[in-house]
Amino acid sequence: MHYVKWTLMAVVTLLAFSFLHYTLPQNDVVRIADTYEKRVDPGENSWFWAAPDAGNANVANRDVFFVQTIQQNNKPMVYRNEDTGWGWPPYFKFDTSNLQTEAADLKSVKDTPQWVQIRHYGWRNEFLSIYPNAVAVKAVDGPDVRIIPWFNIIFLILLALIALRIYRSIQRFRARRIDPLLEDVGEAFEAAGDHAEAAQDRASGLWGRFTAWLRTWRAK
Amino acid sequence: MIGAIRLFAAAFLLLSIVFVYVSLRQKYRCRRELEAEFDAKAHPDTSEMERDAYIEAGLTEYESSLRRKLIFGIYIVPLCGVAVMIYVTNFM
Repeated sequence: MHYVKWTLMAVVTLLAFSFLHYTLPQNDVVRIADTYEKRVDPGENSWFWAAPDAGNANVANRDVFFVQTIQQNNKPMVYRNEDTGWGWPPYFKFDTSNLQTEAADLKSVKDTPQWVQIRHYGWRNEFLSIYPNAVAVKAVDGPDVRIIPWFNIIFLILLALIALRIYRSIQRFRARRIDPLLEDVGEAFEAAGDHAEAAQDRASGLWGRFTAWLRTWRAK
Repeated sequence: MIGAIRLFAAAFLLLSIVFVYVSLRQKYRCRRELEAEFDAKAHPDTSEMERDAYIEAGLTEYESSLRRKLIFGIYIVPLCGVAVMIYVTNFM
């Protein structure tokens, strides 16, 4: 029971962490190599695609903008560039085409790099063909700019406060309503246990007498 | 536009539940405070009617207080959040 409880808690924590890690904004400093547009037919990875441009028909397959970038460690990173519209996650991004224009404008070659800060959410996974969704691009001076994630700091503090508050009120509710109930149940169980013990004593008494009677035969 | 209507309708429904819960709870808490206040300072031989009148007066005062109006923040704060988010994401 102990292991079940801890496993369950670990799974829930992992899910909550992954959810936040996927949804909250993160910043990368990269160099944009090129941009392209590709038709996408979301299949089993459709969870990881957002919405068509706001106002368009909601058809399954569509063209999606992509931004190809090179990270500081010279490894590639490809971002998709999609509207999130009025849906999830609540970035309310409608300026996909503008963002694509800005990204194209910030293209640079290896010898004269123009570093850009890309705000995005989501994950890159090659096995599922999923890409993080770029939310904003901004030119920065160099690869080692300091970025303080104010939004995440404030959001996570608020979330922790709310979680603590809910935890507290559940605890208080338990202390007030459920614990007295459990005590009653416990007392009932104890009473039942006493009963059983007494019966056991009686039985052992009977059994004891019976075996004693058997022993009286053995001696002869 | 349908997306926007759907979002706002769902948010309105959800926030209304929170709003009703919080306002009922605040009123209950206000009543409890008034009761405690009255019991602390009243003579033991004051009548039940006086107590009721005191609490009633306190609750009427609460009806028009800032504390009650602040509960509308449940609607206003998320709305402002959405507006700020739209501005930051698309126009900044």
